[in-house]
Amino acid sequence: MNVAPDSYVTLSAVLFCIGVVGVIARRNPLIMLMSIELLFNAANLALVTYARLWLNNAGHIFAFLVITVAAAEAAIALAIVAVAFRSLPHVDADDAALLKG
Amino acid sequence: MIVFWILAILLIASAVFTVTAQKPVYSVVGLLVNFVALAATYLELHAEFLAVIQIIVYSGAILILFVFVIALLSSGVKPFEVGPNRAPRIAIPAIVFAALVLAGIAATVAGTRTAAPSMAGGVTGDANAFGSVANFGAALFTTYLLPFEVTALILMVAVVGVVLIAGDEGPGGIVRRRKRRAIEREPIVKRERVAP
Amino acid sequence: MLAFIWLVPLFGAVLLWTLGPQLRSWAGPIGSALIGASFLATCALWNGATAPGGVHEGLGSWLPGWSFGLQLDRLSLVWSLIITGVGFLIHVYSIGYMDGDRAFARFFAYMNFFVFAMLTLVLSDNVIGLLVGWGLVGLASYFLIGFWFERPTAVAAARKAFVMNVIGDVGMMFAIFVIVAKVGAIGYAAVFAGVGRALGPHDVFLICVGLFIGCAAKSAQVPLQTWLPDAMEGPTPVSALIHAATMVTAGVYLIARFAPLWSASADAREMAGVIGGVTAIAGAILGCVQWDIKRILAYSTMSQIGYMIMGVGVGAYAGGVFHFLTHAFFKAQLFLGAGIVIHALADEQDVRRMGGLRTRMPFAFAAMLVGVLAICGVPGFSGFFSKDAVIYGTLSAGHPLLYIVGVVTAGVTAYYMFRLLFVTFFGSYRGDIDAAGAHAEGEEPHHHAPAGLMNVPVAILMVPTVLIGWLDAGGENSPWQRFFRGFPGFEAVPSTTAPAISELASTLIVLIVVAVGFGIAYARYGSGPALAGAVARLRTEAERAPRVLVHAYYADALYDAVFVRPARALGTWFDRVVDPHVIDAGVREVAISAQWLGHLFRSFQTGLVRAYALSLVFGVACFVAYYALVFGVSR
Repeated sequence: MNVAPDSYVTLSAVLFCIGVVGVIARRNPLIMLMSIELLFNAANLALVTYARLWLNNAGHIFAFLVITVAAAEAAIALAIVAVAFRSLPHVDADDAALLKG
Repeated sequence: MIVFWILAILLIASAVFTVTAQKPVYSVVGLLVNFVALAATYLELHAEFLAVIQIIVYSGAILILFVFVIALLSSGVKPFEVGPNRAPRIAIPAIVFAALVLAGIAATVAGTRTAAPSMAGGVTGDANAFGSVANFGAALFTTYLLPFEVTALILMVAVVGVVLIAGDEGPGGIVRRRKRRAIEREPIVKRERVAP
Repeated sequence: MLAFIWLVPLFGAVLLWTLGPQLRSWAGPIGSALIGASFLATCALWNGATAPGGVHEGLGSWLPGWSFGLQLDRLSLVWSLIITGVGFLIHVYSIGYMDGDRAFARFFAYMNFFVFAMLTLVLSDNVIGLLVGWGLVGLASYFLIGFWFERPTAVAAARKAFVMNVIGDVGMMFAIFVIVAKVGAIGYAAVFAGVGRALGPHDVFLICVGLFIGCAAKSAQVPLQTWLPDAMEGPTPVSALIHAATMVTAGVYLIARFAPLWSASADAREMAGVIGGVTAIAGAILGCVQWDIKRILAYSTMSQIGYMIMGVGVGAYAGGVFHFLTHAFFKAQLFLGAGIVIHALADEQDVRRMGGLRTRMPFAFAAMLVGVLAICGVPGFSGFFSKDAVIYGTLSAGHPLLYIVGVVTAGVTAYYMFRLLFVTFFGSYRGDIDAAGAHAEGEEPHHHAPAGLMNVPVAILMVPTVLIGWLDAGGENSPWQRFFRGFPGFEAVPSTTAPAISELASTLIVLIVVAVGFGIAYARYGSGPALAGAVARLRTEAERAPRVLVHAYYADALYDAVFVRPARALGTWFDRVVDPHVIDAGVREVAISAQWLGHLFRSFQTGLVRAYALSLVFGVACFVAYYALVFGVSR
């Protein structure tokens, strides 16, 4: 490949960091979940890069599994968000602070 | 090379837009662009099957799910995120840590200067080439059969879980209905009366 | 047998302590009988004790050189006889004096304990036993001075006495440290053998200084004398036995016992003599301005012990010890007689409210008269011989200044003792107990023990008060001197100059001074005009007494300011600052830090999902950093 794998991995890291900031800095749970999807994808990118690097299918398989699990997780997380914030006009993750000790 | 940079800029820009958009719908759109660009990147990396899966599953299913839930929760007229921010200065440590992670990964990766085995660039027509459906399927159903089956189980669990969490009442009669109504009347999320 | 003598009083003390409430009024006779038994046993050992070397009983050995035992040689025989004999008489007296007291049995328990402690002191053959006895005697004194512990003055006096005695104990301990360090053994024999060999002159002086600190504390010498007047808070028998006859003479015993050391160190003798002399004159002067009958006697004790210390200090060991012997008798008699007066006047102790008791209490008057004549050194009475021995002894030992002090003190003694006699017994009664209420002699109040119990011991004491002085008649070859001839350390200390005047001349000088003292006292208190205007005279005298003397040279005030106040302030500081802010704070801080840690960890539980996510990211960052450092940069 004409592009060094470093670049892809760096790109993956950058996407990962953006996702992290998104999870922490945003209060809307939907956007937090979307940032989590970003994290998954960043990881997938790294996996695929290394699969290409070493011509190993395992990376692809694993990325496939990640996608599947991400889908399942997104489903359940959205269900929880929907139920938790059902009757409220605003959606704010900071309000789910009943576990405050 | 050019392709990589275009895709890279697209990915980063759309990710930033996703994270910083005010309305969730805008974030969904940004995420869509991100996924499509990512699919293109997969193509660049000779992972054709995955690129397609990415488009179908991620941008086609998951994002639509997001859109539905946004619609479900947007019944109010007011914009979101008007409650008080209880951790106002949390963004800065987040950025700091994220930067550290980035630096760490970069430092780790910087040492590895392995040349990739050269492959002819671009999409080839060989059905058994690396990254093709046949190649992928062969691996999936032979070496990695168990994870595949487990994935199926995970999906089933997810479906059952969603139904349980947010689903309808189901059979059971008036007792279960009354108990569920009582439970539902308690808010899971308590909004504290804080002066804006 | 020695152990019997020594332990019987202890047995009595324990018995009366534990079974006191059951024994009640039997405690008195039991206590007295036990002391009497000790006395008889001591008499039985006379022959063995007077033999060279005395009677010796080992009590066991501990370390090499540390063997404990009892010994009864001539010196300790004298003391033991006085302790047990006069002690027995005073015990009997106390049966009458303390009759009706709520803590009757406890009193006799303490008295027996005191006798045991004093016997420990004089019967030990080693310095450790001496120190143990020393401390125990101080403890007994504390018990007995504060016997009526509901009185705050008594408690304060007991505490003061004890603290000052502890100062003495510390001095003795240092002396013992030097002894053990240099000689390596604790027996007297070993110590005396070491003089000049293991113990150089400097060591001897140090030991003497340390021992003398103990003397000064126990015998109420300057500068540790302030406790003795206050000790009169105790019952009169206590004052008689402890603070006149025996405990306060422990210092004299000490110096006499360590005579070989004292003989070897001229500086120590100088120190002892000077302090003894100073105390003698200071105490006598203070006795002139006192109005409490017991305080007058207390200061006279201080002064007379000053004489004794002066005597043994300059090397006149036999003379000093003889003065102890006579003083024990006449001072005990004076105190017991005063006790009869106090008891009869319902605990009145101020002489200004007495007077004219000569006719109402003839027996008490006779007893006090005999005692006063003895203490003033009137020829024929015991004090005459012993005082002479001491006063002339200072001159023969080459201390003319001390001789002058001794002579002057004799005059002052005569003055204040006759002052006491005149004011108390002559003239007309100035108190406010009418004739019907006062207990005249021979009258038996319904709840009192027979007056005989108090009178008989006093009568018995009168005999030696008068007669025992004749033991030292005959100068160098008197029975007394012969008794102590050859006693280790009692060799006469050679003086550099021969005495300027003969003994006869000195005796005459003393007699003249005593007569002058008597004359002044008669003129001021005993003559017709004086007695007529007694009330007014006494009042003006009380008002015009010099402040310095009334406040006992401000010694109490000085000690209070220098020692007591700072110590109290230190204690208060500890109570206010150290205890709550350091000690309690330490304990509190442990609890608070546990709480603080809890709060700290609790602050992590914000309940915010974002914050939890942040901590996850923090963990990831740590992992990445680790891998980057370990695996990445090494390339």
